[in-house]
Amino acid sequence: MNKPNELKMILTGLGGQGVVFLTQLLARTALSLGSTVMVSETHGMSQRGGSVISHLRFGDSESPLIQKGTADILIALNLDEALRTLMYVRPNGYLIINSEKYLPEKIEKHLTRLGIQSFTIPADQIALDLGSAKMANVILAGFLSGLNICGIQYEAFRLTLSTLAPQYSRLNLKALEEGFQAGVPKTYLSVSAASRQ
Amino acid sequence: MNVKHANNASIMAAQNNSQPIELLLGNEAIGLGLVENGCRVATAYPGTPSSEVLQGVIRFKKHYGRDVYTEWSVNEKVAFEVALAVSWSGLRSSVAMKQVGLNVAADPLFSAAYTGVEGGFIVISADDPGPHSSQTEQDSRMIAMTAKVPVLDPSTPREAYMMVGEAYRISEKYKVPVILRPTTRLCHAVQDIQLPTEILFNDLGNGNKFQRQPTRWTATPKFRYLLHEELNQKIIEIQEENVNDDFYSNYHPSSNPSVGIISSGVVFQTAMQALIDLNVQLPVLKIAMPYPISQSRVSEFIQSLDVVLILEEPDVCIELQLPERQKVRGRLDGTVPGAGELTPEIVSSIIDGLLTQEGVQTQPIPIDREMEETLNSIELPVRKPRLCPGCGHRSAFFTIKKEFGPKAIYPGDIGCYTLGMNLRAVDTFVDMGGSITMANGFFQASKINQDTRPIIATIGDSTFLHSGIEPLINAVHTGARFILVILDNHTTAMTGFQPTAVNKTLADGRDAAHTASIIDLVRACGVDFIKTADPYDHEEFQAYLKQADEHTKKDTGGVAIIISDRPCILYDPDFAADRQIPVMVTEECDGCKYCLEVFECPGLSLTPDGDRVEIDVRLCVNCGQCVYACYKGFIVPVNIE
Repeated sequence: MNKPNELKMILTGLGGQGVVFLTQLLARTALSLGSTVMVSETHGMSQRGGSVISHLRFGDSESPLIQKGTADILIALNLDEALRTLMYVRPNGYLIINSEKYLPEKIEKHLTRLGIQSFTIPADQIALDLGSAKMANVILAGFLSGLNICGIQYEAFRLTLSTLAPQYSRLNLKALEEGFQAGVPKTYLSVSAASRQ
Repeated sequence: MNVKHANNASIMAAQNNSQPIELLLGNEAIGLGLVENGCRVATAYPGTPSSEVLQGVIRFKKHYGRDVYTEWSVNEKVAFEVALAVSWSGLRSSVAMKQVGLNVAADPLFSAAYTGVEGGFIVISADDPGPHSSQTEQDSRMIAMTAKVPVLDPSTPREAYMMVGEAYRISEKYKVPVILRPTTRLCHAVQDIQLPTEILFNDLGNGNKFQRQPTRWTATPKFRYLLHEELNQKIIEIQEENVNDDFYSNYHPSSNPSVGIISSGVVFQTAMQALIDLNVQLPVLKIAMPYPISQSRVSEFIQSLDVVLILEEPDVCIELQLPERQKVRGRLDGTVPGAGELTPEIVSSIIDGLLTQEGVQTQPIPIDREMEETLNSIELPVRKPRLCPGCGHRSAFFTIKKEFGPKAIYPGDIGCYTLGMNLRAVDTFVDMGGSITMANGFFQASKINQDTRPIIATIGDSTFLHSGIEPLINAVHTGARFILVILDNHTTAMTGFQPTAVNKTLADGRDAAHTASIIDLVRACGVDFIKTADPYDHEEFQAYLKQADEHTKKDTGGVAIIISDRPCILYDPDFAADRQIPVMVTEECDGCKYCLEVFECPGLSLTPDGDRVEIDVRLCVNCGQCVYACYKGFIVPVNIE
């Protein structure tokens, strides 16, 4: 498997939603493929209910923060945090949100205009159906690999996931697969306001 | 922009491709550097963003089987002095803290600059531009400047790791403490770093024992003058020291424009990325040792330019040392904002603005103002930090507030319990241990002002041990009268559950030789009224608060102390595990929001229609404390027997 090209990702959610684990999963997978990695995490008071943002970069640059308007992909574990960090995504970038609800239409209009493709997936519910709400983050990772936009293959995620938190391996791999299956049909499609009937 | 790995002659680390590459936190990378470079004693006090440095030392000393003594000291001055004595004994040592911790360790720092050191001595002081979780955005490099010790300013986790060896080399060559200064975006950044195969560092060959040196270690003021002259001379020599060239870079693209940048630390990386994003090439001088700055490097760089932009944070360390003022743009002339973190957006905007002024074409990253405006119009819930569901401090603060109400003065302190301000039971916090001293001061002021409000100070167990004891001695001795609630959750919670002097285990898991006793310490300060209570037991807690208040008022009274004793719910979840009290909000709830605003537990939220309060089962930990929060009785245990 090849290493991903230069990529800038923002991951966000609330403290306790597993943003840090998701960041680790993505970073370690990229590393296993030979990529250089730079991640910036928020710590300390973020555990006590605050917003968490991770900046994740594969490639040569060693700048820890990603400038607004330059992130290739934004992954948000809830809708509010997606809205809070939306300005990070670049034109023609991608947005993945864990949410039961869609983005407000007034936002969708801007995304369409900027060529930003957004994908919403109710990962909390899928996770609950699998047995634990805490796996929404892993489902999103699977979804990401299914969408085929980050240059990391599903297999690479599988390998890394089974070494991280081995005690939850079986459930985690199932969650990853569910996310992947949800992502595959959406490859190359953009979800516009018109198509969500 | 790859910084090559520096070769350090005294380390024989095999660098072949079969060695593991790990993702390390910047702080852990520093810890690895300390172990790899033969640090024998590493001390620290927890403080965001520095806390993981010691944890990194512990991880890697175990990984490589190295004999390194590691210690969570009681405070930063203690940590500094313990490590200093080790250095005076000819061994390499280090001390780690956050930037405000350097204030606490400043006393020995300034003195040690004069006396010098023997074994290499590194002070890791982590700055927090922003600030993200500190009372100030002060610049440790400027403390280095005032104390006259050299300071290294790494720009990435990998660089910080590699600079440790360099720091020890300079420290031993010139016999001075050296400050290594990472910032939050490095401390908590994660980068791929190749681990050394093995570590073969040997100790210095001077016998490694403390040698008497009266003109240094016991220099009286007359001799201190001589030491000062020596120090000044050292600084002059260090200035032109060849700090490993790998840490400097002098990027001169062929285009030759008139604007250049001098930068150091994380901001350097931000600036380089900004230049890429702006699609412009400029000469950039990266500084590895901001103080004492190499005047020759700097003047050579500035000569060929018309304008030089200084990008550093959080303050003007490099900028102040430049004799050339006409060409320089930075914080002093307002080009760079005087407060706040230098984010990519700000750095980009500064560079862009300057270039536009100088007539250079750029392509700034467009910010879509339309989408921004739409986003700003959406009201998002405010996510401020809050005490965890089930936190004993919440119950304590709630009861304190219930007893004394708004007509009281609440000096607070630094820790998780600072968040008592959400319950409006913290009015001030200044620094570690400040709650007790401020209460003392408020008492004196109240006497003069004829202010009859009760004074209730709150402090945590770790903070009390850090710097609460002397203030208590002072208060009792001088006859001050206030209530002090020591919120004892058995750990240093906010920074990651590091052990304190009352815990049975030490930093690396070994048994403590002895444990201190807060109640004995308090008694020894002369306090007559001490009660211990579980904050969950509201009635008893409130009764004690009443008695405490009486004690502060009666003729024979004085300071009254209540020890609020309940382990942190995250640190010791088992303690509360058998006390499960699921609750529900009854139909009669009228949505007055008293519980949300005054008890403010994250487990309580408004129903979607906003009419009533409901329990958020994802966050509720079934502590049952909110039953007391609703004075109307609308929150009840689910199984009432």
